[in-house]
Amino acid sequence: MKPSPARFSASGILMIWGIVLLSFCVSGRITAYLHPTFHPFALISGVVLVALSAGILFLGADIAPFGCGGGVFPGGLFSILVLTLPLLAATFISPSRYGASAIENRGIVDNIKDLPAFQKFVEPALPNEDGSVSADAPGDAVPFLKKNDEGYIKAETVDLLYAASQAAMRGDFENKDVELTGQFMPSRMGNPTGNRFRLIRLFVMCCAADAQSVAVMVQPKSPTDFSEMIWVKVRGKATFPLEGGKHVPLITDALVTEIDAPLDAFTY
Amino acid sequence: MNWFTFSLHDFSYAFLSVLLEGVPFILFGTLLSGVIDQFLPARVMTRFLPKNPFLGVCAAAGLGLVFPMCECGIVPVIRRLIAKGLPLSNAVAYMLAAPIVNPITALSTYAAFRGQGAAEFTALRLGLGFLVSAVVGLSVQNLSIGSVIKKDVLESIVLTGAESGGSAPMRRRWIAAMESGVRDFLIVMVYFILGVAVASLFGTAVNREILLPLSTNNWIAVPSMMGLAAILALCSSSDAFIAASLVTFPAVAKLAFLVFGPMMDLKLFFIYNAVFTRRFVVGLAIGLFVLVGLLCLRLSVIGL
Repeated sequence: MKPSPARFSASGILMIWGIVLLSFCVSGRITAYLHPTFHPFALISGVVLVALSAGILFLGADIAPFGCGGGVFPGGLFSILVLTLPLLAATFISPSRYGASAIENRGIVDNIKDLPAFQKFVEPALPNEDGSVSADAPGDAVPFLKKNDEGYIKAETVDLLYAASQAAMRGDFENKDVELTGQFMPSRMGNPTGNRFRLIRLFVMCCAADAQSVAVMVQPKSPTDFSEMIWVKVRGKATFPLEGGKHVPLITDALVTEIDAPLDAFTY
Repeated sequence: MNWFTFSLHDFSYAFLSVLLEGVPFILFGTLLSGVIDQFLPARVMTRFLPKNPFLGVCAAAGLGLVFPMCECGIVPVIRRLIAKGLPLSNAVAYMLAAPIVNPITALSTYAAFRGQGAAEFTALRLGLGFLVSAVVGLSVQNLSIGSVIKKDVLESIVLTGAESGGSAPMRRRWIAAMESGVRDFLIVMVYFILGVAVASLFGTAVNREILLPLSTNNWIAVPSMMGLAAILALCSSSDAFIAASLVTFPAVAKLAFLVFGPMMDLKLFFIYNAVFTRRFVVGLAIGLFVLVGLLCLRLSVIGL
């Protein structure tokens, strides 16, 4: 039986979706959209959609005209446009990152307790009678902190927010040289000296739509003038001054340099 | 503060991310619906569920513990289950409860609320989700199927219910299952795309600071959080993490967010329209809003 136009339309729509999903997975663009847990699902779906596209065109044609019998295929022009145009347009238009206005609208987390999946700090266990420490007790984190070749601790914005909330963790970073990467965002609040900016990273649970911006304040050595949301590397001293009745993470004497956006822009 | 700032780039980014996240689950749900269509013998569900209508609805509301489904993929599945003889009230109860009353949501809620009474909060979420679904399921019992299911869907249900049998050759049945699944996928995706577009618009263009004054009192915070859940249209496996982070809102408001959201949000409003009559969907949205809201406000009396 010759495939009907409805069958061709359905096959074409499935093929478009399959190719888009596969292209996101193969090119690595998917990392800017989804938590790694969901990457295999997207890849498998892409393969299945391409297979279904071929399947309904070549296998199903023997059975009956598509859309007859058990249901109505949404073969109207409106449905075909809805199923294809928004996907294709978004694929071409989307810069795979948020701009400053969305970040501002969605709110910026600068207190660790506002972060999704925030975990309360576990107090270290008391030593045993002989002074030894249990194997499962949290120990000194300093030996495990990653450093770059020049001795800067490679930290994330989330690490410093956690540290700000706990005295024990603050000790791991306070007055130590740290290196962070993130996106540049001018600071309109919490900027008494007027020369600070926010360094933000997106914290993601599932996909970019649920992302929360996590920010630390940076006080550069010299005035900076970057465009909003430009990726920068910050090297400076981690401090936790008391501002507004709480410790806030502030990188002082910071050297700020523009960098290329990393492949995986999220923090998890 | 500007409360609305639209950016096409931000909108398309959020829109695409939800599509990429949701498509695998809708695809799974629709392919499963195709398999149910061709391979699940008619009336098998009624044989396993209790005959008593009340117990049947309760059993259906708890079915998600055994057959977990997310809210995106469940609509095509229940459509097929209705065609296979599952009573409408049971189907609606399963549809509303399964995204909440399931092990994955229970674990993610427990993890998200660690340190904030995780066990109690998880139990309350699942318990309230079960209760609301059962109440709505029992209410649907009194409605005629024609006032709940769209006419064209009803006709196709009657047709497929009558058509599918075990006599066709296996290859033909697998192909028919594929066709059926694809058809459901395309139908649901139209509504999903429209819903995601609206949710992405709100998610990127509306400044959330306007919500902060709403957190001050339970009577305002509870409906506000349900409204936020409807607008954000989050996945039920991750919404608890977002709710837990909204620290300024009272616990009852977070509970309302977590019970109402997986049952009714902007994308689900559109997806439900693929199967149910417009009038039923609007009634369901209003009924759920009122029921969940009142139950959560009632819980605030016990100091939650």
